[in-house]
Amino acid sequence: MATMSSVLTDDSSLSRLDRALLRVESALNLASGVVIFALVGLAIYNVLARKLLNAPVPGYVDWTEQFMAVFAFLGLAYVQREGGHIRMDLVVGKLRGRLLWLFEWLSVVFMLIVTTALIYGTWFHFDRSFDWGAPNFSTDSSIDISLPLWPAKLAVPVALSILWLRLALQIWAYGRGLRRGGDRIVAVPLPEDPAEQANKEAATVAGAD
Amino acid sequence: MDQFIDMKALLDGVSIFNVSLWLSGLLLVLVLIGVRVAFAAAFIGFIGLCAFFMQKQGFDRGLVTAAKLTGQIPHSKSTTYALSLIPTFILIGYLAYYAGLTRYLFEAAKRWIGWTPGGLGVATVFATAGFAAVSGASVATSAVFARIAIPEMLRLGYDKRFAAGVVAAGGTLASLIPPSAILVIYAIIVEESVGKLLLAGFLPGLVSALIYAALVMGLARLRPSLGPAVGGYTWGQRFASLPGAMPILLVVFIIVYSIYFGWATPTEAGALGAGVVLTMAIWKGMRWQQLKGALMEAAKLTVMIFAMIWGVLIYVRFLGFARLPDAFAEFITGLDMGPYQILLMILLVYVVLGMFMDAIGMLILTLPITFPAVMALNGAEAGGVGALGMTNQEAAIWFGIIVVKMAELCLITPPIGLNCFVVAGVAQDAKMEISVQDVFRGASPFFVADVATVAVLIAFPGIVLWLPGLLG
Amino acid sequence: TEWNVSVWGKRRAFTEHIEKLAELVAERSGGEFTMNVSYGGLSKNRENLDGISIGAFEMAQFCAGYHRDKNRAITVLELPFLGVQTLEQEVAVANTVYAHPAVTEEMAQWNARILMTSPMPQYNIVGTGEPRATVDSFDGMRVRATGGIGAMFESVGAVPTSVTATEAYNAMESGVVDTVAFAQHAHLSFRTIDIADWWTENLNPGTVNCPVVVNTDALEALSDEHRAILDAAVTESIDYYLTNYAELLEGWEATLSEKGVQKVTVDAAEIAKLAEGAQPIHQAWIEQANADGLPGQELYDLAVQAVADNAPE
Ligand code: NA
Ligand code: NA
Repeated sequence: MATMSSVLTDDSSLSRLDRALLRVESALNLASGVVIFALVGLAIYNVLARKLLNAPVPGYVDWTEQFMAVFAFLGLAYVQREGGHIRMDLVVGKLRGRLLWLFEWLSVVFMLIVTTALIYGTWFHFDRSFDWGAPNFSTDSSIDISLPLWPAKLAVPVALSILWLRLALQIWAYGRGLRRGGDRIVAVPLPEDPAEQANKEAATVAGAD
Repeated sequence: MDQFIDMKALLDGVSIFNVSLWLSGLLLVLVLIGVRVAFAAAFIGFIGLCAFFMQKQGFDRGLVTAAKLTGQIPHSKSTTYALSLIPTFILIGYLAYYAGLTRYLFEAAKRWIGWTPGGLGVATVFATAGFAAVSGASVATSAVFARIAIPEMLRLGYDKRFAAGVVAAGGTLASLIPPSAILVIYAIIVEESVGKLLLAGFLPGLVSALIYAALVMGLARLRPSLGPAVGGYTWGQRFASLPGAMPILLVVFIIVYSIYFGWATPTEAGALGAGVVLTMAIWKGMRWQQLKGALMEAAKLTVMIFAMIWGVLIYVRFLGFARLPDAFAEFITGLDMGPYQILLMILLVYVVLGMFMDAIGMLILTLPITFPAVMALNGAEAGGVGALGMTNQEAAIWFGIIVVKMAELCLITPPIGLNCFVVAGVAQDAKMEISVQDVFRGASPFFVADVATVAVLIAFPGIVLWLPGLLG
Repeated sequence: TEWNVSVWGKRRAFTEHIEKLAELVAERSGGEFTMNVSYGGLSKNRENLDGISIGAFEMAQFCAGYHRDKNRAITVLELPFLGVQTLEQEVAVANTVYAHPAVTEEMAQWNARILMTSPMPQYNIVGTGEPRATVDSFDGMRVRATGGIGAMFESVGAVPTSVTATEAYNAMESGVVDTVAFAQHAHLSFRTIDIADWWTENLNPGTVNCPVVVNTDALEALSDEHRAILDAAVTESIDYYLTNYAELLEGWEATLSEKGVQKVTVDAAEIAKLAEGAQPIHQAWIEQANADGLPGQELYDLAVQAVADNAPE
């Protein structure tokens, strides 16, 4: 079930930046997948150790909650790069060329505004739980075994900052599309070309499973 | 504090309640012009909080307070233990795909019931129902079957809207038939027995599947152009298709056994199921590249869902400050109507909200208001039967199933229907030419089927309450 | 003046002093000073201090045990086997500790000032099967208990098991845990009492400490008149809370017999053994607090002295 990305590339510095950022984003998304996998493993271990050895993982719920921050956020930019965040394409699906890039550009600008606010806010959320002078640098901890919360809280503004870079890059890319016109611009997820879709359809079906 | 705009004066006397109504309208506009939903909701929530705090504290301080408050919500709401089930249930879906479980199920369903009118559609309904017994997430179920069932239906000349609609609707069965992430979330919000709720979902899930199947057959009878029956399988071929689908039963057994016999909490049982499916997938020859693919996909879908959750909850937090939920509660309890009329009103509100919201976000948003309202409607004394003809605990379980069915309905209603987006997304991924609008059009008849299901569950609450009643 | 107040859950005995405070303040200011009490709409319970610190709302309730690193000083009040016997005594002990500069300084970092406490009865355990009333019977027992109380059980061989409060019912129903430690009202609201066979009446290992705080800026922005009204209403609200809680506890006996739950009395000698096991936890707390730059010994002695000074007749 590999995702076929519909982001075009070329030799421009925009596209090179896009691919460089993609490498970081993919790695983070994979890390998020690995954490999901590890948490499944931890849950199985917790059940078995509790049932067979009467030795459950101390603070199992606390540990799970800390690692949830990883899989909930690290993939944010990757999903945006692949065009995966849910949206209505009722209107944008009908647009082509400059008008489409204008709407996409506006949409990403909205996202950039709220992401900027979120980076600020989530940073302070982290900052309230972190103090250089405190034991474990911690001024906020989990309920059961008092794990410091700041590492999980730090993951959020970090992930959002990478999303910010991705959004800035997309604003550049859509802006370029707006200036130059045309349907095939680089570095952003494109609506599929119907002819191309039909061609690839048979191959995908045959290859499934 | 010097302010370059005197927001306090500007917003003086402006009712935040009215602002919340206007901003809700603006949210709709943003969503319609294609802003990613999670971020549109977060944006509106942030703007609303800005208005609230600027009115109170002036421009500079208000802006800072609003941004800091907004920034609390993503981490705070995402790291809630009950939600840890969601990626697990999604991962099971993808692993089951690699273990070949979904294909075997679909194949078996096709051979056994493909001969009916619209046979592949009916087979899809029952295959998704079977897969629902291992998958806890509607969206993941639709995603998996979009890969398997839609291409085959298209190959046999089925109408693409019809094919996509069946898969989008069939996926919703995963949330009634246990295990179910959303039933667990409901149980946790209203503090009811997770085990009882999961059991309660089983029969309504089956009823729902039967109604879907009847609908598919009826539609195919009326319009044969939707898709042909697929007959001609011998009994030998039919029985040969069964062993491949058997492992599903093993997973079901492990999940049920571990919950009821004290091995695991419901949350952990999901992980046990994932462990079994993973073992099968590896046994079937899954390698690191494929596991990596499954992890990437599961992570993607997880991030997408979590972004929706916290994005919507930023908006909900603003509504909390604007006291919109309070206004609603007062409105409902002040109504001069019978309990079933009020229930109907509440369900209608769910239909409307469900058009715009995702299932989990909607439950989290509304249950704090509607659950106490429904409990008050029933109003049973301890141990006695209330206005809805049930004890309060029965009413809690029964309402849970009804409301989850309503939430599932919202996955297939426009303009925002997660299942339809995902089916369209997978179709796009697999280069099938199916737009979101096509999926919504195809899924619209199932809206009628769901309304029928809810009506049946209200008329015959025994369908919900019989199994959990056996648990004592 | 309109204050937003962030609490969580449902309206219950645990929030009645806040409701009373809101009522008194509104009444005595002729409706000029009002409080909107929000149950979960403004913040998650573990982030009420954060909300106070950023000025999102003016008043909030929280429990020290939810986040020890946010409020290290007052966690002394959550130590197991401090010997608190009544809610009145608990109010007095809490007020004494709240007045210590180490506490006020720590709260000042959150831009918060403690207004009053929300006294909670001692935690006791419910369980299924044979009653566990001896230290030996705790060996290998899986118990849902967090923080210091969990550590106390662990010191006598029990296995603290990590499940959320909301999953406690299921965990006990399915046998994931054998016992659950809560105060009475939590046993009721999380329904652990519904499936329990027994409840320890006098184990009294300790409880959580849950202050009500106000945002310092909001407090200082009050007019002298409103400030006086607020201060005067605090004592009355606490009195109301205590009366109300006493009624709830009277109903507790009836609840037990209605649900068929056996009341188990733990032998004084057994409790002495447990209290002895808690001493190293007290020492560890003092050392940790000292290491964290708090006057650990001083806070501890203050709490212990206050417990003795306010012991019921
Ligand atoms: Na399911
Ligand atoms: Na919808």
